[in-house]
Amino acid sequence: MAIIARHLRRAAAAWVVLLGGAAAAPAQSVGLPAPRLLTTMPMGGKAGTTVEVAVTGEHLDEAGDLFFSDPRITAKRKLDATGAPVADRYAVTIAPDCPVGLYEARVTTRLGVSSARAFAVGALAEVVVTRPNRTLAAAMELPLNSVCNGAVADRAIDYFVFQARKGQRVVVDCAARGIDSKLNATVVVGDAAGRDLLVERRGGVIDFAVPADGRYTIKLHELTFKGGPAFYYRLGVWEQPAGTPIVRQPSTRAVNSFSWPPVGLPPQAPLAEVEPNNDGPRAQRVTLPCDVSGRFFPAADVDVYEFEAKKGEEWWVEVASERLGLPTDPAVLVQRVVKGEKGAPDTLTDVLELADIPSPVKVSSNGYAYDGPPYNAGTSDVLGKLVVKDDGLYRLQLTDLFGGTRSVPGNSYRLVIRRAAPDFALVAWPLHMELRNGDRNALSKPIALRGGATMALEVVALRRDGFDGDIELAMDGLPPGVTAHGLKIPAGKSRGMMLVTARPDAARGYANAAFVGRATVAGRPVTRPCRLATVAWPVPDSWGEIPSPRLLADVPVSVSGTDLAPLTITAKSPVVEATAGEKLTVPLVHRRTSEFTGDKIQMKAVGAGFETSPAFDLPVQADKSEVVLDLKALNVPPGEYRVSFLGGGVVKYRHQPEVVAKVEATSEKMLAEVKSLEAEAKRAADEAQRAPPEKKEQMTRALTAVTARMKAATDALTATRQQLTRAKDAARPRDIADIIVCEPFTIRVRPVEKK
Amino acid sequence: MPLEPSHPRHPSVRPTRGACAAVVLTLACSGGPARAADGRVSFVNDVVPVLTRAGCNMGSCHAKAGGGQKGFQLSLFGFEPAEDYEHLVLEGRGRRLHFGNPDQSLLLLKASGQVPHAGGLRLPKSSPGYAVVRDWIGQGARGDGATAPKLVGLEVEPKHGLLKRQARQQLKAVARYSDGGVRDVTGTAVFESNDKAMAEVSEGGLVAVLDLPGKVSIMVRYQGRVAVFNAAVPLGAPVGELPPVRNFIDAAVFANLKDLGIPPSPVCDDATFLRRVTLDVAGRLPTDAEAKAFLADAGADKRDRWVEELLRSPDYADFFAGKWTALLKNRRDDASDTVSNFAFHAWVRDSLLANKPYDQFVRELLAATGTIVGNPPVAWYKRVREPKDQIEDVAQLFLGVRIQCAQCHHHPFERWSQDDYYALAAFFGQVGRKPSDTRGEDLIYHKRGVATATNIRTKAALRPAALGDAVPAIAPDEDPRLRLADWMRAPANPFFAKALVNRYWKHFFQRGLIEPEDDIRDTNPPSNPELLAALEKDFVASGYDLKGLVRVIVRSNAYQLSATPNAFNAGDRQNYSRYYPRRLSAEVLLDAIDQLSGTQTDFPNLPPGTRAVALPDNSYNRSSAFLRVFGRPEGESVCECERVQSSNLAQSLHLLNSPDVRGKLAHPTGRAERLAKDARPAEARVKELYLVAFARDPRPDELRAALGYLAEPRATAAGRPVDPQHAAREGYQDLIWALMTSKEFLFNH
Repeated sequence: MAIIARHLRRAAAAWVVLLGGAAAAPAQSVGLPAPRLLTTMPMGGKAGTTVEVAVTGEHLDEAGDLFFSDPRITAKRKLDATGAPVADRYAVTIAPDCPVGLYEARVTTRLGVSSARAFAVGALAEVVVTRPNRTLAAAMELPLNSVCNGAVADRAIDYFVFQARKGQRVVVDCAARGIDSKLNATVVVGDAAGRDLLVERRGGVIDFAVPADGRYTIKLHELTFKGGPAFYYRLGVWEQPAGTPIVRQPSTRAVNSFSWPPVGLPPQAPLAEVEPNNDGPRAQRVTLPCDVSGRFFPAADVDVYEFEAKKGEEWWVEVASERLGLPTDPAVLVQRVVKGEKGAPDTLTDVLELADIPSPVKVSSNGYAYDGPPYNAGTSDVLGKLVVKDDGLYRLQLTDLFGGTRSVPGNSYRLVIRRAAPDFALVAWPLHMELRNGDRNALSKPIALRGGATMALEVVALRRDGFDGDIELAMDGLPPGVTAHGLKIPAGKSRGMMLVTARPDAARGYANAAFVGRATVAGRPVTRPCRLATVAWPVPDSWGEIPSPRLLADVPVSVSGTDLAPLTITAKSPVVEATAGEKLTVPLVHRRTSEFTGDKIQMKAVGAGFETSPAFDLPVQADKSEVVLDLKALNVPPGEYRVSFLGGGVVKYRHQPEVVAKVEATSEKMLAEVKSLEAEAKRAADEAQRAPPEKKEQMTRALTAVTARMKAATDALTATRQQLTRAKDAARPRDIADIIVCEPFTIRVRPVEKK
Repeated sequence: MPLEPSHPRHPSVRPTRGACAAVVLTLACSGGPARAADGRVSFVNDVVPVLTRAGCNMGSCHAKAGGGQKGFQLSLFGFEPAEDYEHLVLEGRGRRLHFGNPDQSLLLLKASGQVPHAGGLRLPKSSPGYAVVRDWIGQGARGDGATAPKLVGLEVEPKHGLLKRQARQQLKAVARYSDGGVRDVTGTAVFESNDKAMAEVSEGGLVAVLDLPGKVSIMVRYQGRVAVFNAAVPLGAPVGELPPVRNFIDAAVFANLKDLGIPPSPVCDDATFLRRVTLDVAGRLPTDAEAKAFLADAGADKRDRWVEELLRSPDYADFFAGKWTALLKNRRDDASDTVSNFAFHAWVRDSLLANKPYDQFVRELLAATGTIVGNPPVAWYKRVREPKDQIEDVAQLFLGVRIQCAQCHHHPFERWSQDDYYALAAFFGQVGRKPSDTRGEDLIYHKRGVATATNIRTKAALRPAALGDAVPAIAPDEDPRLRLADWMRAPANPFFAKALVNRYWKHFFQRGLIEPEDDIRDTNPPSNPELLAALEKDFVASGYDLKGLVRVIVRSNAYQLSATPNAFNAGDRQNYSRYYPRRLSAEVLLDAIDQLSGTQTDFPNLPPGTRAVALPDNSYNRSSAFLRVFGRPEGESVCECERVQSSNLAQSLHLLNSPDVRGKLAHPTGRAERLAKDARPAEARVKELYLVAFARDPRPDELRAALGYLAEPRATAAGRPVDPQHAAREGYQDLIWALMTSKEFLFNH
């Protein structure tokens, strides 16, 4: 059966390739070039030091400044002996008062500000792997209390050795997935001969009680022995005082943690779980409201809380554990307790069962086609309402559905039972759609806009405690020439959109924007931040690599200033008026800077009230078009609506065509110089030949000098010609599928005039 | 979760599913049933046994799932007489029976071969069975399912016997009924020997003992009941002085040998011990340095110290992880299995390295929850998806019980009913799944609810019960799998520890105390029950300490006996009077060849130097012809028998003339090349080879032969002398190759 299934899958994959080939030009890729910072080496530094950092990435053309999400970390280009900047190298200075933690690093480029890479600030000494350490014999000596920055190679194991004394407690903590690395680290502590003593493969920490004075080894590799520059790590090895809790290296936060904590929750719970509270008779008494911290420990732990409640009361129960970054799945059961009389057992009646908080929007399945974002705004944590139907005693039982056999002391939770506190939390990410099977490239792009481009961000709300109203979206503090329009999250819904537009003439610029949602909650205006999420790596094949999304620390918006959007679509008038129940025609203006494959793009309306409007074909080769919207069919009531259209098109993209002419000019100039030097050399040769004996040596020296200059110039010309070939290749039109978004406009629907 | 009622496994030839298949092979054509005193033939107690004995209701004949044969269906082994009556008498407008002239009944015409019958001759017209059926039809084909006395017991007489070699013993099968009646059913019962090399049994129950000494059992089966005759066949040779008793294992093994009169071989020498135990515990050869040090060590406790060294080493974990992951079906069918297979293998390996107690290991596997990367035993639920497969694998692997048959019918050799089967399946009834980010992988959790499983025949929803043991009610919040694990780890559990110690015993002694090692049942008794009980007790008392079990086994003198037979014990295959040599397994042999030739095998996408015993799953069999040819399993079955340990021509050819082996011998950085350039005297170099290959120095004659061979002048095909460097290289290649293909190298002995 499995074999048949495998053949079918292969056959299906072959079809996808064939169809792709038939529908579009060869080698079609997804997403216009976007600047992505992919690695920094090292990946962090110690506070109060300056560290040299090398960066790599995609489309980091004309990379300029390296900068961070905190002003206490600054960088300067590294200069060579002549004072010229060294490509991709920076001197990063971390202020002494910069707190230990993770920050975002980014690079300014010709296409705007790059995507972010996590950069750690630590308190320990920093070292970098500088020579291959792939055998025990070549192991790198690691001083205790240091962090080592390195990357494992494919099919390789990195070896380290450290000295320790009997009785010492040594912590070995490898940061990898938590700092955007692709490395699923396996860390092994071994004896001096490299024989394994302790192994950690699930991203945990090794707490090593040193059995004897001596040398110990650390072996580090990827779980399946994959490797490369993307498989980097920060290996921390430090002495930990006995009896003290281990504080691990910092890690990025999962997307679903955007909804935790609720606004106003104190950092520490006022109440702590008291074991044993594993069953009814030993239930821990609490009074509502309550806020308790506890843990799912040991394996199959059950925590039972008991409280009195009155008929008609409504309580909201929220548990956070997965959102604290833990591999748990909390479940809550509330039962009403009727005490048995005269020694009879208590009678328990199930009142409420709570498990996961579902994602407010459909999350991508793990199939090949794109059927939703891979960002999960839901969580295995718990949030729900307890409606009390009778006065009495209630028992709340909290368990970890993933905890049956795992005894991890660190698997903690926070349980909050409160009266309704209606609220919401927001998260957004770059919109993606099915452009090519399995391709999730666009998910990792930064908000780096080409002139005339509109970028769409999908915004999702988690509504809390019954809040059901409209949520307006806004983005402020944008760079000059950039505007942002939110398509609101309508009452009762969870999804909205933010459209960020750069004017065609917008200058190169960057700003850290404020992205918020605004609503009226219980008659009062409420503003909440919208967190931005990203996928750490471009994923061209979602079956080859599972996207790993995370939250970003900030909302950077930038404009290229040089590159223009292939197609800018705007409504002829920013406000279009119509009467309810009529057909509305929206004239659109197209501005193309690239050729497109095909003559039409299927577009769809977005924006509350217009989402059900049928898709239409936009004549992409024309300079204008009209869209007809049937207000009667859409049943749109009078009012003002923000609307846009979006769809996927195939651009014949030319990367930096202007560079070709520039390099060509340089090449011509260099050719002339070479020719002139050739002539000069010929002259010098002739003169040297004819020179009298006393001048022979001098003339020969002159000939040698000019020959050297000629050779240098020829080499330079060769290099420039190679550069030209590359530039011409890059500027050759390539088919790239991308999302085309119309600049949002307003539709004002007038009421039908009463006669 | 619906449980498929089909019976897809009966046709399988894999021994793992062989219990039912084995029955199919036992054909019987005649037999003389005892008749009731009143002369009336009982359908239930007379006719059905005749059909069973004649093989009509075998799984491959009219009891075949999905309609029997040619539209005529009988229940398997007649376990459902009411249904059989229905099919036989009422179905097909009664065309199968001819009441006016019973001899013309289609049933009898076919069974006696008077009309064409695809199943051949089953009941000759002259046979007593034929007469029974004919008389029953003649008497009106009475159905007596409700009134017939129930079969309540089966006994065999005698129950035990002390038999000489070549002796014969007639057995008698006696059935007891609910009305107090007793019948001799020897004529209709089915007899089967558990070791046909030791004793055969005729259809009529006559046991013929052959030449081998030991213990043998004859199973008697009649209408869903079984009984067993146990015989001891002593050799009766004089047993002189026995090796010293180092622990309870020696006491039990040597007592048995004494009883049977089989004198054991002496304790082996140091070199043999070192090589044997290193191969058995760490799956590798000792290095030449280790061998040298061990042989030079004069300490009296050096064997015990070496055992400790091996148990501490990661090699032990790598080797046993390979054994366990194959049994736990860590198969790679798709590239997307890679991460889960590595994670699962690593979990097994790390658990063994840390010497996680066996009960805890099994508990973590059975009751796994979460994601594979977060909790790798969850991968087992990816591989074994259906509750029926889960319980079948768990029962066979961890309890030594092959319960597969009971899915569709009462187990033919065992006490397990369908209710037992489904009550066991109920433990897995509340396993919840949620989709994960990874294709083909689910998150596993306990789905709140009362666990039940439905018996496909009775449609009864059964609560969890563990092989006949009732389990107190399980609350909806509680994961029933944890209760199953609790039940397993209870010290009094009759299966859990026994299955493991028997499995490990077989690992070290080549033959389980019960064979096959995962078919533990009353009708398949151990060859040394006292030893099995003592091992079980010791293992439970140790807190399920796996390294402790290995330690106690390999420290015993029973394990350390020489493989060389004495004048009496060459034929012993069962009583451990000597070490039974075994060919090195595929991975161990490949590593050993690499070690001897001084090379490495390159496995796709793994670091250079990765040893074959440390491979995480079966996928490397695709790239390594060597591993395939030498029988590395594919992780398809929970049976150890999937690993092919037998020898074949392809293996010989592979060693003799494969590019793989030739490449290793002639490798530019290999041992032959290095030795050819080595400045030491040839004697030292030959000694190195013997130490690596056999963990011993060469005997004088071997040394002479080797040195002589190396010194022989070599010439090219054209007759010109070969240059000395080239000649030396060829000489060492030949020598290594000769050692490599010797039985002493290929076998652990």
